[in-house]
Amino acid sequence: MTERGWAAGAGTAHRMENWYRRLLTLYPKDHRREHAEEMVGVLLAAAGQEQAGPSRAGRAQRLGQHAADSADLIGGALRIRGRMVLNRVKRTRWLAWTVRDERWSDALAVVSVVAPVLLLVAALTEFRISQAVASSLTGHPHWRLSETLTLADLPMAAGASGVTVLAFLRLRRLAGLGALATAIGQIAAGAVPAMAGYASPAVAFTVLLSCTAAAALLFSPGPDRGLALLTRSGTALVGVGALILGGFSVGGNVWFGTGDADVGDFGGQVAGLPADLLIAAVLVTVAASCLRAAVSRRVLALLAIPVIPYVFLWQEKLASDLFGPPGTTTALIPSSIPLLYLPPLLLACLIVAGTWLARRRATGRADQVGSSGPRSAVSA
Amino acid sequence: MQEPTFLILTALAAGAQHGYGIMTDVARISDGRVRLRAGTLYAALDRLKADGLVTSDKEEIVDGRLRRYYRITDEGAAELAAEVRRLRANTAVAASRLGLAGGTV
Repeated sequence: MTERGWAAGAGTAHRMENWYRRLLTLYPKDHRREHAEEMVGVLLAAAGQEQAGPSRAGRAQRLGQHAADSADLIGGALRIRGRMVLNRVKRTRWLAWTVRDERWSDALAVVSVVAPVLLLVAALTEFRISQAVASSLTGHPHWRLSETLTLADLPMAAGASGVTVLAFLRLRRLAGLGALATAIGQIAAGAVPAMAGYASPAVAFTVLLSCTAAAALLFSPGPDRGLALLTRSGTALVGVGALILGGFSVGGNVWFGTGDADVGDFGGQVAGLPADLLIAAVLVTVAASCLRAAVSRRVLALLAIPVIPYVFLWQEKLASDLFGPPGTTTALIPSSIPLLYLPPLLLACLIVAGTWLARRRATGRADQVGSSGPRSAVSA
Repeated sequence: MQEPTFLILTALAAGAQHGYGIMTDVARISDGRVRLRAGTLYAALDRLKADGLVTSDKEEIVDGRLRRYYRITDEGAAELAAEVRRLRANTAVAASRLGLAGGTV
């Protein structure tokens, strides 16, 4: 071969190698790391063995072989990726995904204990079920169960109690699906104009709390792990907080409530604000005092999702307690659907995106450490 | 067992071989009828390795390029032997029904 002919041949081989390497990027990273170099070697060796001459027919034959090898490489990549997906699907235990990051997984496990309790307490206080039960037990005429519940309240009232019972029976996935159904039920009930609209901060709070409980129950090891992390003192704190919350609202409404529409619901006004403050206090206390800092920060971030619309509820109640009767337009910031739902949604997206980026960075670092070792492959 | 898998295991039954060696051996065994390409070969090797029928052997560098050798495992050999028995039994039945028993098939 002349020097020019040899140079042209070397150039073609180089172009072919580049082309094959580009096609090999279609393969999974692990497969590429293990086999890319030997596959390039095999492809070039096979191309070198082709017996086609320099004629036009020979060139067409070479081009055909090259195209067939390329198509075969693509097919191989698809087969390997397809098999990986199939194996993953076969191995997956449905509804058994948990977050891989240990700190987020632990934070979700804690929330899987706290959120169902809060959901139950929120239902008890919001629908005044505990007041109605206390009224019927004490003979106080102020609250009756039939007056406290409407059709729109049923998803929350039934869902909250069901989720809490299922969570503490250790039926994590069922409780998670129940929490999801509770959220969907509330949204569906709120969508009917005749019923309580979901533009209300109270409904937004319970919808988002149900969603947070569902995510915590479905994507974490569950209440067992959460209780272990909370320790006895933390669990006692959650229990005492819930009891105080429920008990105070019962006391406030039953003992201070007059039941006279002209006089006004003094008990409701008195009980409302401290009860709200207590919910916030329980959240912060539980998260801050019982856990490692990395987990407690994440618990706070997760619980902030439902608490954001609660801030609107709180300032509305504060305004009505200070400046006028409930229902009048005394709130400092009037609540609206975008204000109630967009910030929590944004926070949830930030949490998911942050977790994903952290995982990518961790994978990148692991790859760098792996590739800085001795190379097993030598390319020409 | 699919034919390419059978031929790859047959090629490796004689001893460890590298990728290009398997390709040329398969072409030889099948009389040029089956011509494996790199994509098909490595997808098959990936599956056979995952199933424990084939394993990586030694590596060497030839002309600046990596060559990895593959060898059949005991499990792979047993699987191939079972397939041979199955094919032989089927072939015998087919030959006897065609009146070729004792003759060449």
